[in-house]
Amino acid sequence: MQRIPAALILALAAGHVLAADPAIGYVKSVSGDAFVTTAGAKAKAQVGSPVQQGSLLETGKNGTMGVTFKDETMVSFGPNTSFTVTDYVYAPAEGKLKFGSKLAKGSLNYVSGAIEKMKPDAVTVGTPTGTIGVRGTQFLLKVEE
Amino acid sequence: MNPRPAPLRRARPAIAIAGLLLLAGCSNKYYVSCAGCRVAPPPAPVSYVVLIPSPDGSIGAVAVKGDKGEQFLNKAGQAGTLEGQPFQVDDKKIEQDFGAARTALPQVPVRYQLAFKDGATLTAESEATLPEIVAEAKKRPAVDVTIIGHTDTLQSFEYNDKLGLKRATKVADSLRAKGLVANSLSVESYGERQLLVQTPDNTFEPRNRRVEISVR
Repeated sequence: MQRIPAALILALAAGHVLAADPAIGYVKSVSGDAFVTTAGAKAKAQVGSPVQQGSLLETGKNGTMGVTFKDETMVSFGPNTSFTVTDYVYAPAEGKLKFGSKLAKGSLNYVSGAIEKMKPDAVTVGTPTGTIGVRGTQFLLKVEE
Repeated sequence: MNPRPAPLRRARPAIAIAGLLLLAGCSNKYYVSCAGCRVAPPPAPVSYVVLIPSPDGSIGAVAVKGDKGEQFLNKAGQAGTLEGQPFQVDDKKIEQDFGAARTALPQVPVRYQLAFKDGATLTAESEATLPEIVAEAKKRPAVDVTIIGHTDTLQSFEYNDKLGLKRATKVADSLRAKGLVANSLSVESYGERQLLVQTPDNTFEPRNRRVEISVR
């Protein structure tokens, strides 16, 4: 039976009420200055800090940060980095998959996850001079200012 | 002592300095064609991407599209500028540019698949995996866990959504009872929407009756 009703999802966020815009990933490692800015609110990144669609992830001159997303994509950043999650959709049961991001400056290490495995054209990283299409892999990316 | 070689020796640095002064105003192209030149030009900062083996050892690919062209990278160590042109990079430069980012990479997530005897009862083998899952979760900082219940196509679509959730919830309860504490725990059901083995509707298929767990 191929009717598609709304997905039955029960999210039990430990200790807090499920927000309207749920986390799509969490900070897993931090050193030095690192920040997560979501909906205009900038907070110092800590291990366990949530990342949402639209979040800006930044590191200072001695900072590093690593994030694991819900689809098991991992992205980590070196110092002086500015990275934005522009588009993240992970609903495999409905075939809705997309991971768009942008590196404005700095360095990153990217390991693609389930979104890329299920829909190879759905994962891109934008840079000031072009676009990188990700086809299931690990790569390093550096954007000089 | 021969007094003559001294002025000659001094002359060489003087020539080198004159050469440097001359070259200082030149473009990078001039450096490349300067055969006798011993002074390497300072490397211009380059924005680039380099492909490396994935944590599982496989090599994927990236397509780099820029305003000067397009590069398809599919070999380990292959690099391209973000303008879309080929680029050479050695291990030393990779370490220099990406050492900090590499150090910050999180632990690779682990997936488990649990099987069911019937209804929401795990097979003995899957039941025995639960302590291993809890132990794995404990090794990770601010661990995130997703538990997804799946069914086969027997019964109705709506019934299977509920059954998938029942399976996932039961596994979540068992993991918590065994000591799982997560930064974020998500319990979901995909019902019969994501079959492991494709079957027609109303088909009994034990391999589709499962719970998938992602520990991150």
